[in-house]
Amino acid sequence: MTDEVEVTVTVNGRTRQSRVEPRRLLVDYLRHDLGLTGAHIGCEQGVCGACTVLLDGRTARSCLHFAVTVDGSDIRTVEDLADLDELHPIQEMFHQKHALQCGFCTPGFLLTAVELLERTADPDEATIREALMNNVCRCTGYANIVDAVAEAAVELRRGHGA
Amino acid sequence: MSSDTQGAVGQSVLRREDDYLLRGQGRFVDDLPTPLNTLHLAFVLSPYAHARITSIDTSAALALDGVVDVLTGADLAAMVKPIAAQIELPGYSFNTRDVLAVDEVRFAGEAVAVVVAESQYLAEDGIELVEVDYEPLPAVTDIHEATDPAAPQVNPTVPGNVYFEGRFATEGVAAGFDTAAHVISEDFNSNRVTAVPIEPRGCLAVPEQPANLVFYSSTQIHHLLRTALAEFLDVAESNLRVVVPDVGGGFGIKAALYPEEFVCAALALRLRRPVKWIQDRYGALLTDVHARDNHYRVEAAIDDDGIVLALRAEIRTNGGAYSALPFGCTLETTGGARMIVGPYRITEYEYTATAVATHTAPVLAYRGVAQPVCFMAIEGIMDRIARRLGLDPAEVRLRNMVPTAELPWTNIVGVRYDTGSFVESLEMAMEMANYDEFRASQAQGRLVDGKYRGIGICSFTEVSGTGAPGWRARGLTRLPGFDSGTVKVEPTGKVTAFVSHAHSGQGHFTTFAQVVADALGARLEDVTVVEGDTAAGPYGTNTFASRSAVTGGGALIRASEKARLKLARIAAFMLESTPEDIVVSDGRMHVAGVPSRALSFQEVAETAYAMNTSDLPEGESFGIEETDFYDPPLVTMANATHIAQVAVDAADGTVDIEGYVVVHDCGRVINPMIVDGQVMGGVAQGIGEALMEEFVYDPDGGVRTATLMDYLLPSSVDVPNYQIAHIESPSIDTVGGFKGVGEGGLIGAVAALVNAVADALSDLDVNVNTKPLRPALLSRLIREAGG
Repeated sequence: MTDEVEVTVTVNGRTRQSRVEPRRLLVDYLRHDLGLTGAHIGCEQGVCGACTVLLDGRTARSCLHFAVTVDGSDIRTVEDLADLDELHPIQEMFHQKHALQCGFCTPGFLLTAVELLERTADPDEATIREALMNNVCRCTGYANIVDAVAEAAVELRRGHGA
Repeated sequence: MSSDTQGAVGQSVLRREDDYLLRGQGRFVDDLPTPLNTLHLAFVLSPYAHARITSIDTSAALALDGVVDVLTGADLAAMVKPIAAQIELPGYSFNTRDVLAVDEVRFAGEAVAVVVAESQYLAEDGIELVEVDYEPLPAVTDIHEATDPAAPQVNPTVPGNVYFEGRFATEGVAAGFDTAAHVISEDFNSNRVTAVPIEPRGCLAVPEQPANLVFYSSTQIHHLLRTALAEFLDVAESNLRVVVPDVGGGFGIKAALYPEEFVCAALALRLRRPVKWIQDRYGALLTDVHARDNHYRVEAAIDDDGIVLALRAEIRTNGGAYSALPFGCTLETTGGARMIVGPYRITEYEYTATAVATHTAPVLAYRGVAQPVCFMAIEGIMDRIARRLGLDPAEVRLRNMVPTAELPWTNIVGVRYDTGSFVESLEMAMEMANYDEFRASQAQGRLVDGKYRGIGICSFTEVSGTGAPGWRARGLTRLPGFDSGTVKVEPTGKVTAFVSHAHSGQGHFTTFAQVVADALGARLEDVTVVEGDTAAGPYGTNTFASRSAVTGGGALIRASEKARLKLARIAAFMLESTPEDIVVSDGRMHVAGVPSRALSFQEVAETAYAMNTSDLPEGESFGIEETDFYDPPLVTMANATHIAQVAVDAADGTVDIEGYVVVHDCGRVINPMIVDGQVMGGVAQGIGEALMEEFVYDPDGGVRTATLMDYLLPSSVDVPNYQIAHIESPSIDTVGGFKGVGEGGLIGAVAALVNAVADALSDLDVNVNTKPLRPALLSRLIREAGG
């Protein structure tokens, strides 16, 4: 075992100071130290995307980062998208379009969609499919996810939500 | 007494599951809060397919601070009996498995030791320090080589590496072949795949009082798991409670009983502490049950019109190194042999079906079980008949199908098709796919813009909702078949429905509420569904093989009807009417024709629970809580047609799917949105199986596909937009009229795609009889044919 070191990150708007082993994966830190279990571990090989979070505004595989290497970063997880009463428009469209079944991969897809729609307000279908191609869903067959993102883009352009 | 049809069934009701899952509040097994003193497990996996374990040195691991114990096969053998599937088929070679290998390993990935530590990181440190000496032995992985007399023996109780050989023949098969105008024969080769749910497996065992052990597992079969834990750990079943949290996809591979579950439970009981195990992806790929490593040799005797006079199938399936629980290594073997006749009028049939043992991971259920392969075979034969006789493949199918007017119809192996739409689903799919126009365009040549265009059909029957007689017919005498439902009207008039299923993404909380609302006469929003807990509701067979709508739906309808009768009896007493005159609807009861003489569920329930001053009718018991069970017939047969349209790149062999049509018939549809979701998800998995997925062993049994960079899964750019339509032919043999829908998407996609690629390349002299159809294979075939 190695000595613990201090790490300071901003997670969902709140500053968190922790002592962690240098080898502690960011995803384990989020899930088991902070209790943010929305990011899931599907492969620990950077392939499936279930652990996707936003790291300084960009999607990142939280299974491929150590907590210590993101010291000073701003992290956003799926738990930050909705407020108590209302889902984020992307989440709401996933609900409306039946874009999730087991829901295990869903947090990764949501954050990937957030990144896409923050950069591209009006993506066509090919753009959406390409943006989602590094997240694996084994339940839905993707079509409803693509629809949900397209419809969420419409909603966001109308000015609902942030 | 009657219930107004409220029509919750049949509506695309949005799912109740979504809100918490979308917020990241799902509770998958690794998300569950764990007590601070929880121990964590990691398993030492054999890198060899076949080896003698000469020694295991655990001292360095045990010396690591935070490692609590390291156990080997001998240690666990003292705590857990050898596990075994109970198959009662003549000639079946019974075999057992130690939960950790003792002396010998039989497939790459078999666990030889387990490290128990204070954290998952420490447990994984520990497995690096366990020194195992292996003496490698010759291995066999190939289903044909396995039965060579010179092949290494996989299992001491499986002579010649044959687990089982089944035979069946009708009297007129030989005559059919003798009189045939043509005999069409083909070999079909199917690749080994595995389901890859994105959530790996895991479990958490928490010793508690008064139940001695609460066992959380990412399983599809909580009751069967509890019974097996009791049996093999030799503990009282009543002291075990199995709870299924959210499960991140199952697809059949979580309907197996795995060694890790027994080890985890045994160690929690022994160490008197919570014990948790979460699988990693490497372990998942190597040790989850596999599927589809099959070979089919099929011969069809046909007349000049393309009518099949007799069919012969020689089926060989790879069962892996052990017969896995609970369905055993004969699942694909008996499945393919019984299902291959599909929607066709096959009146003379003969099969030989063999399950062989190899030094590979055990094989059990993966969505579709044998059907993706047996329909690749029979649908491939239909296309070959068409090519031989110069007929259209659709026409050959239509000539051989059982028409709707002849249903109910019992097929040659005794399975009854009560209702269905074989012809109609094909005709509708052809229309949706503009089939005739596409065929006309092919007349100008299949190679357009550097791509060969083809179209492929799969018309098939889809086994669902199997009852006890269906399992008995396949030697599974200890697999029940029934499921249960309990419907409870609470004192406030709200309804809690318990069902013996466990979801892994199917939307049960929504669909079962729809079923109960209609059958009870309750408001949909007042019904809450509880499942996946052996302490909540009675026993059942649980969730696999497209069962839940049929068996859970049927049980809940029966229980709801009993509860509705009781509501009506009490209401009639309170309203001074008779039960027969009480109408139950929308959460209220009124006297027929007198809507003003009405009571709410709550008012009646308060009487039932003695929470008001009304009396109960004489002889009526307290509460409103009714249970019933439902065992469906032999099997419940759904059907569908898939049509795929593809473009095969002449230069690099890549396949683009340019159109995809499904016409599905699962009887009475509970929730069309969810049914479409099942179909689309299945098709995507079928696309993976047909075009990219393959689990590969080296000839010596080493694993080549140990990561998701090697085992390829379809992504959003690999799948098309799907056109889906439904025909509803309600089952007349089941309570509720439902048929299952969980597997058809995958079943149909494999054959439709293989046939489409074969059609695209049909001007070349190539034979497409193998999957997956990867670019390397197709470009080689095209090159060799000079295309």
